[in-house]
Amino acid sequence: MYDAIVVGGRCAGAATALLLARQGHRVLVVDRSSFPSDVISTHFLWPHGMSYLNRWGLLDQVTAVTPTHTVVDIVNDGIPLSGSVPVSLLREHFRDLHGDDSGVVQSYASVRRRVLDQILVEAAAKAGAEVRTHSTVRELIISDGRVVGVRGRASDGGEFEERARIVVGADGRNSFVARTLGLPRFDERPRCTFAYWSYWSGFDPGRGQIHRRGRLGCAVVPTNFGQNMVLVWGPSEWSREFRADVPGNVQRALDFVSPELGELVRTRGTREERIYGTLDQSGFLRQLHGPGWVLVGDAESAKDQCTAIGMTHAFRDAELASAALHRWLAGESSLDEAMAAYEGRRRSQNSAAYYDYVCTLSEMRPYRHDELQLFVALRGNQEETDRFIATHADIAPVSEFFQASNLFLLNDAAKESSAGYPVFEDFAATSRMYQQNLFA
Amino acid sequence: MTSTDLQQRDDGELIEAILDAARRGDVATMAREAAEVSEMTRNWATHIPWDDLAALDASGADGELARVVADLTEMWEPAHLRNPVDPDEEYALDKNAYDFYRPAGRDLLARTEDFYGWVQARRRTETWQYSRVLEAAPDSIAEITNDLGKRTRGINFNSQDYLSFNTHPAIREAAVRAMRDYGPHSAGSPMVLGNTRISDELEAALGELTGLEHVTLFSTGWSAGFGAIVGLVRQSDHVVIDRLAHSCLQQGARAATRNVVRYEHLNVEAVRQHLVDIRSHDTRNGILVVTDGLFSVDADWPDLVTLQRVCREHDATLLVDVAHDLGAMGPGGTGVLGMQGLLGEVDIVMGAFSKSFCSNGGFVASRSPALKQYVKMFSGSHFFSNALSPVQTAVVREAARIIRSPEGDELRARLFTAIHALRDELTGRGLTCMGEPSPIVPLLIGNEKLARTANRLLFDRGVLAFMVEFPVTPTGSSRFRLQVQAGHRPEEAREAARIIEGAIADSRAYLSSAFGSAAR
Repeated sequence: MYDAIVVGGRCAGAATALLLARQGHRVLVVDRSSFPSDVISTHFLWPHGMSYLNRWGLLDQVTAVTPTHTVVDIVNDGIPLSGSVPVSLLREHFRDLHGDDSGVVQSYASVRRRVLDQILVEAAAKAGAEVRTHSTVRELIISDGRVVGVRGRASDGGEFEERARIVVGADGRNSFVARTLGLPRFDERPRCTFAYWSYWSGFDPGRGQIHRRGRLGCAVVPTNFGQNMVLVWGPSEWSREFRADVPGNVQRALDFVSPELGELVRTRGTREERIYGTLDQSGFLRQLHGPGWVLVGDAESAKDQCTAIGMTHAFRDAELASAALHRWLAGESSLDEAMAAYEGRRRSQNSAAYYDYVCTLSEMRPYRHDELQLFVALRGNQEETDRFIATHADIAPVSEFFQASNLFLLNDAAKESSAGYPVFEDFAATSRMYQQNLFA
Repeated sequence: MTSTDLQQRDDGELIEAILDAARRGDVATMAREAAEVSEMTRNWATHIPWDDLAALDASGADGELARVVADLTEMWEPAHLRNPVDPDEEYALDKNAYDFYRPAGRDLLARTEDFYGWVQARRRTETWQYSRVLEAAPDSIAEITNDLGKRTRGINFNSQDYLSFNTHPAIREAAVRAMRDYGPHSAGSPMVLGNTRISDELEAALGELTGLEHVTLFSTGWSAGFGAIVGLVRQSDHVVIDRLAHSCLQQGARAATRNVVRYEHLNVEAVRQHLVDIRSHDTRNGILVVTDGLFSVDADWPDLVTLQRVCREHDATLLVDVAHDLGAMGPGGTGVLGMQGLLGEVDIVMGAFSKSFCSNGGFVASRSPALKQYVKMFSGSHFFSNALSPVQTAVVREAARIIRSPEGDELRARLFTAIHALRDELTGRGLTCMGEPSPIVPLLIGNEKLARTANRLLFDRGVLAFMVEFPVTPTGSSRFRLQVQAGHRPEEAREAARIIEGAIADSRAYLSSAFGSAAR
């Protein structure tokens, strides 16, 4: 009998298991993969994601093999902004969410899942959790309407059956736990992006860059093994045409969104792996908990990759859920109270607003005139640029940046006008051109 | 990586090949193609039995093959790419007013069209909460028509008349008397010949209510707030303003100076920090600190005692907007100032008559006769607006008299009985009422789509409530602003709360939204 069985041993699962095991609870983690291995992911950690690793004592292991940066470049239709997430906002974020702001770091990183997930799963084992890899859960054991354990196929091909006081579904957007329980998807946002990416060596972009133009985006971030992840994305309505020539269209998208980056990749880059892609990214929420089970990470709420927040949110869930479960397992609260506390954080007004923000962004509509003017107004206003970046990454509340009085003040304080940016020259014609499928 | 890896087909191509084989029932080919699918995708799509495809029943008899095909298709060609949507409803619910704040183009007339298109979409989908009209006096029950001509009757939390003066016989009598004595028109600026003897009496009454004897009248509350700031503050001065202070104050601040600092709502320590910062580099110019008394969106109020002290310590001047609390709460109707023992102590107080005094209009009050004369001269909205009409002035004067009488205490007691009934019933039903008990009961919703659809249902179910969203509140924190009247019976308030809860539950089901209305 375990205190908790965690189904899924990657960002959400290994971290939840690690934190529970460190509190002295008996934890079993089961994952169908063996480690190290990769999984579809934009594998980006924003500063709060890195801060979680630091709080858990794992950051040094990650940064020993992974480049990190603090300043990020965001270029929208040729309007460049650079900034970093302020420590003060990070601290406020952790105090609000977890009641303690220790371990905050300002850096971000792109960590291959074969690197990160291995570190996490090893740390969970070291903390005392039992980790079974290459093992597949095929059944939930339900007794009196309550999940009490799991059955599955072990790595040696044999069957296993284990029981626990709680089963944690940390098995991603296609969660077996959620599907078996028949949990519906709430607040589903089908409009999402398609994303294609691979790994290139041969050039150094200096730091992370995110570019947008019209309905397309691209990003380059230095990652492990001396390589750069280069990612392009666009509206899922264009995915069929994109798929007709994946390598050609990756380059075409780069050249369109950022000619400089397109040139760099074409002339200096060597692609080191095949191109990966997905358009299975619609946003949704599922019920968070029920009798004998609780969900964390993508299993409870998946979102589009366009703000690259999934892993960071998985860590957040792990800390919130394990803290709640610990209070219950230690006899300090009832399970209902503990789960209500978890739910209060995860289904809060700020969370809802950020979910809306990501889902709206993932429709990949061209930026409107006023949005582009806002980016111009942010130029030279470092404090508000940094707040914007923090808002984009779900560190500062959406409601505080996108508040009328703040936006009006930003306009008033603008140091630049739109005059220097070609996108404003014949905006109507440019907007019409942006609606055309580049790959048709 | 080896070059074979590079030549591998990408997952999209492989999944197409698997689906193609599945249509022929060729499970062996499905398994062969699946073996080449990247580790990335296999570990992601854990619901696909990648390793066991060869074991599927090729006849499809057990339905497994069809399930795998459906899951793979959904991954690679999701159904939403084929499903039509109601474009009007999508457009109506997706956008915010701010999306139209900076229209493009040089034709000022033509570029308002985009916004109008959105308004029309919201009207057609009955999610436009503005521009409703009354068919009769807005009592605790009201009959209204929306801008599509659709009529409804319901429990009214949509009017601001906290003490139910609109139907009070003495108030109506005062209006009739003023009409008889002076006629409907003030016929001039208050700086010229727009005021009457009643205006002087009203100024004196407000002076007694606030403890600040030098009072200037304005023809609207908005112009009092805007005028007070632009009248006093110059370009090199500073304004330090609560992030949620009323719009007239925010816009006044922006019109007066570029040196505007918005501080965290209610945070007096943040004000102190800002004042220290400003004084560290500017000892020569003025600083105006601006806050509401009772905040109309969050129903809370600041610690004015400390705030006023902090202002004095840094040679800053405090302005407090008591539009929502004066008359309706506090000992003798003295509002938040009276509750904090600050009558006559705050540098500058401004207010509006439209909530508790049954009329348009506003005022600015202080203990300084010089400030009064200065504001009259340099607040454009005082000098260059026609004065309050004699009828309005008489109504407000009579309202001020009742507010300070024992009847005022009685009305406030009835008001708070209704407030508690409403808040208790809403809270008991698991909804989140923000702030403190006050005539404003903000019911937090959050998501705008949820609020707009709930509002549509409420209209049909007999509760009149104003839904506030951007630009009144920040995006993502929309709410219902329920404004209670002394005339509301507690049972009416409880009934309304039940209906509101039902409408929110049904809207959540309609949108299949899982978000609650927890505060954080």
